[in-house]
Amino acid sequence: MELKDELKTKMIEALNLEEMTPADIDDNAPLFGDAGLGLDSIDVLELIVLLERNYGIKISDPKQGKEIFASVSTMADYVAANRTK
Amino acid sequence: MKVTYRVKLTPNYLEVDGKRVVEAVAGESFLTKLYHIYNMEYPKFFKMDVLCKVGFIASEILLETEGAERFVPRADRAVILFNRNSSLNADRTFQQTIADPQDFYPSPSVFVYTLPNIVTGEIAIRNKYHGESNFILLPEKSQKAMEQAIERAFLDAETKSVLTGWVEAVSDTEFEAEMELRR
Amino acid sequence: MIVKKIGESMMTPLGFSVEENFAAVMSGRSELHRYESLWNLPFPCFVSLIPDEKLEVELAHELSAADRASLRTKFEKIALLSAVKSVKQSGIDPKSERVVFILSSTKGNVELLSDENPDLERVTPAHTAQMIANYFGNPNMPLTVSNACISGLCAQIEAHRCLKSGQYDTAVVMGADVLSPFIVAGFQSLKALSDEQCRPFSANRKGLNLGEAAAAVVYTVASESADGWQMLAGAVRNDANHISGPSRTGEGSYRALMSVLSESNLTANDLACLNVHGTSTMYNDEMESIAITRAGLADVPVNAMKGYYGHTLGAAGVLETLLSMRAVEEGKVIATRGFDELGVSMPVLVSSESVDTQKNAFVKLLSGFGGCNAAAAFVRV
Repeated sequence: MELKDELKTKMIEALNLEEMTPADIDDNAPLFGDAGLGLDSIDVLELIVLLERNYGIKISDPKQGKEIFASVSTMADYVAANRTK
Repeated sequence: MKVTYRVKLTPNYLEVDGKRVVEAVAGESFLTKLYHIYNMEYPKFFKMDVLCKVGFIASEILLETEGAERFVPRADRAVILFNRNSSLNADRTFQQTIADPQDFYPSPSVFVYTLPNIVTGEIAIRNKYHGESNFILLPEKSQKAMEQAIERAFLDAETKSVLTGWVEAVSDTEFEAEMELRR
Repeated sequence: MIVKKIGESMMTPLGFSVEENFAAVMSGRSELHRYESLWNLPFPCFVSLIPDEKLEVELAHELSAADRASLRTKFEKIALLSAVKSVKQSGIDPKSERVVFILSSTKGNVELLSDENPDLERVTPAHTAQMIANYFGNPNMPLTVSNACISGLCAQIEAHRCLKSGQYDTAVVMGADVLSPFIVAGFQSLKALSDEQCRPFSANRKGLNLGEAAAAVVYTVASESADGWQMLAGAVRNDANHISGPSRTGEGSYRALMSVLSESNLTANDLACLNVHGTSTMYNDEMESIAITRAGLADVPVNAMKGYYGHTLGAAGVLETLLSMRAVEEGKVIATRGFDELGVSMPVLVSSESVDTQKNAFVKLLSGFGGCNAAAAFVRV
């Protein structure tokens, strides 16, 4: 499975985005804020856990999260560059 | 102090003001079904743990029944709920995320639900209620203890009505909400 | 109707009496320590723990062997002990139907979930509350306030309503919580913890420290002329904003403060201090500084006690209220341990030194997950 699709599938499960399928999430759509998927600060923390658990990437400062998790594309780029698993 | 509306929600049925309104059907999620029937349109619902889902659904239906204007900020309504087992379901789910030292991934989105009063917070956020919110645990379901507490809530001069009741959910299949609006 | 305090107790890492605790706090002591891998958790933490051996000695001193045998957990032990000591000190008859027991706890016996076959019935603090009521032979159903971190203040407000309503004449309010991997890992997952001494309201604050404690207070209906500590007003208000982050405008805290000031007829000039939540997270302290200023209390000395004990969850509201009372009796405002340079947007009066005061009233403020906020005004007559 392509990394972006893999991330979308894992996100849907980790963030309880029920009623959504990977096809519903555009690669470049903003994840946060009202314009996007409406994710919030707890979701950032949960995504940090997701990255560590699945890809061995440790992010200690949640403030970095806003950039890394701006969209599925930025997330995929970050994972590809930093994964240890 | 009068009861103005009441809702009872179990895994098997929904009753509004004493009348059975919806029955559960085997094999479907009753709570999700009610979420759709009542057009709740609140995606955060799916992040909630079962205690919050049960309390949220019951409160939505209760407030629809009241028919008053919704989502306008107000500070004259208290939200005071009761149960025995606190947030046991979320507690057990969170415990699982830390139980295995080889697979230790404490989940923040589960942890935030490991307090019983979060359901009162979800109701306050949804409805823009700035009044009192509280959660009281009782060793068993006692109408007398709840009545006394609800009566006391009106000692706060700003409180003109109370959204209250017993909301217990120890698992996805064992829950009960009996919620009322009191003036 | 006048309601006054007639008994109290404390069980903390700084001692098992109010006097010991007050002396320790005034001399700037703390038992907050860094642990590299407490309970084999894979991260360092900075917490304050009640010493187990000392607790066992105290238990042997206060309870019979038979009563001790029925206590399984640290939570049950400190909750019951705090009740026993405060009831003894107050001289009340705990068997009376005019007495009600009110427990404040966020997580009770959650530690039992890590057992192989957890006793699920025993996890809820409501079970512990009933154990305590049974110990005293009290016939009334005990209440357990579980309203996140404001529980200890909320329980005192509930106690006052129990008395003002005429439903009861005396209330024993116990606040207690113990730490466990569950709680520490939970707060760590929210990235809310600091691995160093917490620094309330400071520019370089990086999060909270956790701690365990139990504290109890006994309130009773008294005659009009009765001297002593009284709660003049108490209010709980919700931010209606987010389940785990405070409102950026301090909405709920502001409303709770305004309600309490109005009902008690106290002004900023009457207050020795405003003892606040001050958890040392970026958001909480900033939010409190805004609420304090909006409420017109910017000139009142502000202090926080999390730098001595850490955040003691269900015990905090009772512990911090009792220490504030003791300090005002001595004409002091307790120093905010851990504070260095102000790092919030509003110029609130926090000090790392204790301050003298002639005033006999204070306000206590707390906030908790679920968007709840509580304020109460206390005066010594």
